Amino acid sequence: MRVPYSSLREQFADSEAILRDIKGLLETTQFTLGPAVARFEAAFARICGARFAVGVGTGTDALFLSLKALGVGPGDEVITAANTFIATAGAIVAAGARPAFVDATDDFNIDPAGIERAITPRTRAIMPVHYAGQPARMGAILLIAAAHRLPVVEDACQAIGASVDGRLVSSFGVAAGFSLHPLKNLNVWGDGGVIVTSSEELDATLRLLRNHGLRNRDEVEIFGYNSRLDTLHAIVGNHLITEVEAITAARIRNARALDAGLLPLAPRVRIPARHANERHVFHLYMFEADDRDRLRAYLIERGVEAKIHYPVPLHLQPAGRRLGYREGDFPEAERQAKRIITLPVHQHLSQDQVDYMVEVVTDFYGTGSRR
Amino acid sequence: MTEPGRRVTYMDLPRQFADGEVVRRVAEEFSRCRFVLGPQVAEFESRFARLCGAAHAVGLNSGTDALFLALKALGAGAGDEVITVPNSFVATAGAIVMAGATPVFVDVNAEYLMDPAGLEDAITPRTRAIIPVHLTGNPADMDAVGAVASRHRLAVIEDAAQAVGASIGSRRVGSIGEAGAFSLFPLKNLGVAGDGGMLTTNSAAVADRVRLLRHHGLRNRDEVEVFGYNSRLDTLQAIVGDAVLAGVEQVAETRIRHAQLYDRALAPLAPHVIVPPRRAGVRQVFHTYVVQVEARDRLMPFLESRGVETKIHYPIPIHLQKAAESLGYKRGSFPVCEAQTGRILSLPVHEYLTDDDLEYVVAQLMEFYPR
Repeated sequence: MRVPYSSLREQFADSEAILRDIKGLLETTQFTLGPAVARFEAAFARICGARFAVGVGTGTDALFLSLKALGVGPGDEVITAANTFIATAGAIVAAGARPAFVDATDDFNIDPAGIERAITPRTRAIMPVHYAGQPARMGAILLIAAAHRLPVVEDACQAIGASVDGRLVSSFGVAAGFSLHPLKNLNVWGDGGVIVTSSEELDATLRLLRNHGLRNRDEVEIFGYNSRLDTLHAIVGNHLITEVEAITAARIRNARALDAGLLPLAPRVRIPARHANERHVFHLYMFEADDRDRLRAYLIERGVEAKIHYPVPLHLQPAGRRLGYREGDFPEAERQAKRIITLPVHQHLSQDQVDYMVEVVTDFYGTGSRR
Repeated sequence: MTEPGRRVTYMDLPRQFADGEVVRRVAEEFSRCRFVLGPQVAEFESRFARLCGAAHAVGLNSGTDALFLALKALGAGAGDEVITVPNSFVATAGAIVMAGATPVFVDVNAEYLMDPAGLEDAITPRTRAIIPVHLTGNPADMDAVGAVASRHRLAVIEDAAQAVGASIGSRRVGSIGEAGAFSLFPLKNLGVAGDGGMLTTNSAAVADRVRLLRHHGLRNRDEVEVFGYNSRLDTLQAIVGDAVLAGVEQVAETRIRHAQLYDRALAPLAPHVIVPPRRAGVRQVFHTYVVQVEARDRLMPFLESRGVETKIHYPIPIHLQKAAESLGYKRGSFPVCEAQTGRILSLPVHEYLTDDDLEYVVAQLMEFYPR
C-alpha cells in the first residue's frame, strides 16, 4: 500500500470550476489585485472572526510585512521558537531585526517561560508559532506581552482554524500571518499569504506596504514592497475556503485514529499531550519515536512517505549559528529534533491507509527493530 | 476628424490570451500539481536566459524582488548608497530602500535615461552600486555608465523591467551589467497572469546566491545556509510566461514598427510635440512610447474625448514623492527630469494596434495643435 505525504492530485482531480474561473480571468485580465482578491480577503477575515485580511505574496511576507508595519527594524530583537520552519526567523531577519530563539515544551510548542527569559531592552515583538497547527500557549504569552508592552504577531502559517477555548488563532495578537502554500490546509496553486488583523491602522499600512507604498496610481506615501496575492490564487482560494472546515475535520479525525493506534506503543512512541481546550488542526501529525531514522526508512520502504519537520533546529543551522547560538542552548528542541517524525495526515487518507500506517509502526517495534 | 465610437485603448491585454493557448497549457500542467519551482520554472529560466544572451536567469516573485535580490546578492545593504534615476517607477528606489541602502538620484538626458555626466558627482565613499534604468524599453548608455562604475569599482545592476529584448549593438540588456532585473508584470512586453520577475546574470556565483535567497536560504530541504526570503516565480506563471515568450520578438518588432510610424508622423509637430532623439545601433523595444507635449493637461482630455487612451509615466518623480522626503531632495534638484515630468505623455503603442489606429491618433494630435 502507498501512503503519499500530500494529496494535491486527489484534491484537484476535478477542478473544472476553478479552471473555468481562471479562463474568465484571462478574459478580464484583472491579474493584479482584481475583485477576486477583495472577495477572498473578506471571506478569510470572516472565517478568522477578524475585521481585516490582507492578501500578500507569501506566508513569509505576511510575517515580514506585519513586523515592518509595526516598525520593527535594525537593532531590534523579535522572540520566536527555535523549532519552526526557517521562514519565521527569515522574516525577522528580512525586517532587519535579530531573531531571539526560545526552547520548546514537550508538546513541540514555544515555551512561555523561555519567552520571558529572552526579553531584553531591545525586544520589539513576540512571534509565537502555532506549530504543526497546534495553538501556542496564548494565555501565558499574552500576559508576558502585556507586562512588557510588546506586540504579539502570531505565526499562524500552519494553523488556519485552530483555536484555544473556542478563540481562533489570529485573534490573540495585533496581527497574524498565514501561508497559502500548496501543502497547507487552505492552499492555492503557488505561493500566497494572508495577514489578519483587527487594527484599521495596521490594515491601511499593510495595504500600502504590499503595493509599493502607493496611495493611488501616482502618489507614493512610503517606500514599500511588491507582495500581492495574485488574483489567480485568490480565485483558487475562493473555491477552497468553503472546504476548509471539512478539511480540518478530516485531518483531526485522522489524527485521532493515529493517536489511538500509536498510544499503545509507548514508551517507544511518544504522542505529545493533547489538550481538551485546544483545537489542533494537524497541518502536521508529529510524534517522538525511538530509533527514528530507522523507523522512517522502514516506513518509506513500505510505501509510507514519512517526513521530519525539521531535523535541525534553527539555532543550529549555519544561518543560526552565525547569530552566536550553539549546541545545548535549547536542549528540548535539540532532543526533539533527533526523535520527531511526521506521518501523512491529509484529508484524503482512507481508513485503510491510517490502519496501515499504525500497522507498519507497530511492526517496526515488534519485529522490525530486531531485524 | 472625429470618429464617434472609435477607441484606441492604451493596452489590449485580453487579446494576448484570446487564442486559448495559455488556458490549454495551464489546464494541462496544473494536473501535475507542481506548483512551486520544478522543471517548468527551470525551462522557462533557460529560455529567458537565452533570450537575453545571459548565462543564467532566476525566476522570482516580481521585478521589484529581482532588483532587491540583485542588490542583496552583490552585498548592498545598510549604510550603502545606490545611484539611480528619479524618473523611474517607484519600485527601483523601493528595492534599494528594501535592501537597507539609500537611493541617490542623478538627472536624466533627453532620452529619459540616466545621464552619465552626473554620475561622478553622485559617487561618495558609501556608493556601492549603480542602477541604470532602461526606461520605456530604451537601453541606458551602458558604455558610459560601465566606464564610471569600473573606475570606482561599483557594481552595475540593469533595471530592465521595461526592456526585455532591447539591445545595444549585439549585447542584449540583462547581459551587460553584473545583473539584470526584469518584470513579468502583466502590462510588460513579456507579461504573465500575475506578479513575476526574472534576474539575469553572467555570474554563476550571483545566480547561485539568488537561488538560495529566493527559497529561504535553503541549500537543500533541511539545510539553511543563510537567512533568505520567499520570492519564487510561481510554476503556473512560468507556464504562462513560456507561452508568451514564444511571441516576444514579434511583439517587440511590432511595437518598433509602430514607434517608427509615430516618429515620422509626429516630427512635423515640433515644437508642440517633441520626439526624443533616437540612437543608431540601439534596439528600443517600446514598452512605452513617450513624447513631450505642450498643453498636456488639455491634450489628454481632448484625446480621451476622441477615444484615445493615454497615460503619464510618471506624473511625480520619485525624489518629489512623500516617501522620499527624508532623502533631502527638493524641487529643482533634477531640472531635466522635472521639466520632462510636466510634458511627458505615453501614446498607445501595443502590438494589437493597426496602422489605421496609429494614423487616427496622429490625426487627433494634428488637429489639436493648429499650424
